[in-house]
Amino acid sequence: MALTHIQAMLLFAVVASAIFAVITRRGWKEQIKYALWCFFLFLLVGVAVGWAMYPISR
Amino acid sequence: MADKREVKTGPAGARNQDLLSYACGLGGWLLPGLGHALLKMWGRAVVTFVLVGVLVLAGVSLRGNVFASAGPDAFSTLGYLADLGAGSFYFAARSFETLGPDVSKAAGDYGTRFLAAAGILNLLCALHACEVARGRKA
Repeated sequence: MALTHIQAMLLFAVVASAIFAVITRRGWKEQIKYALWCFFLFLLVGVAVGWAMYPISR
Repeated sequence: MADKREVKTGPAGARNQDLLSYACGLGGWLLPGLGHALLKMWGRAVVTFVLVGVLVLAGVSLRGNVFASAGPDAFSTLGYLADLGAGSFYFAARSFETLGPDVSKAAGDYGTRFLAAAGILNLLCALHACEVARGRKA
């Protein structure tokens, strides 16, 4: 099995968001909303940190 | 999901509640999702079992490092403690990873992080089940 950086980040973000939502929210609607929000934040922070490291990558 | 549960009062009820919370914590650690299953929170149990399982499987498939108890440094010990959080899945990962870790590539490094994340997330779920059984959380 081989994953690219973005695929690995997506997999981790999906799993972590879903677990955070399941243990912190009640009701499936609230859980889905919170999972989507966490997932979005994971992606945002991941991409932001990636760009922040860009100048020192070469 | 069935979140409502009756809390018995009195010393016997408190003792039962303590026992149940320990069982949920220990069971949730040993088998991801078991803590919530004991509380009849089936949805949470299935989600925990599947997601922790997916992370462990991905970690093993990527040939991540499944740390052993006798690590050469503090980081290995921390890695071992994180991996051990996945309970029985940690031992399954050790037996499945017959080729050993390959952290010379980025994939192996991702695998190592996935295995550690699976352990930490499972501990979080086990603690949640424990707290629910104590009546401190919904």
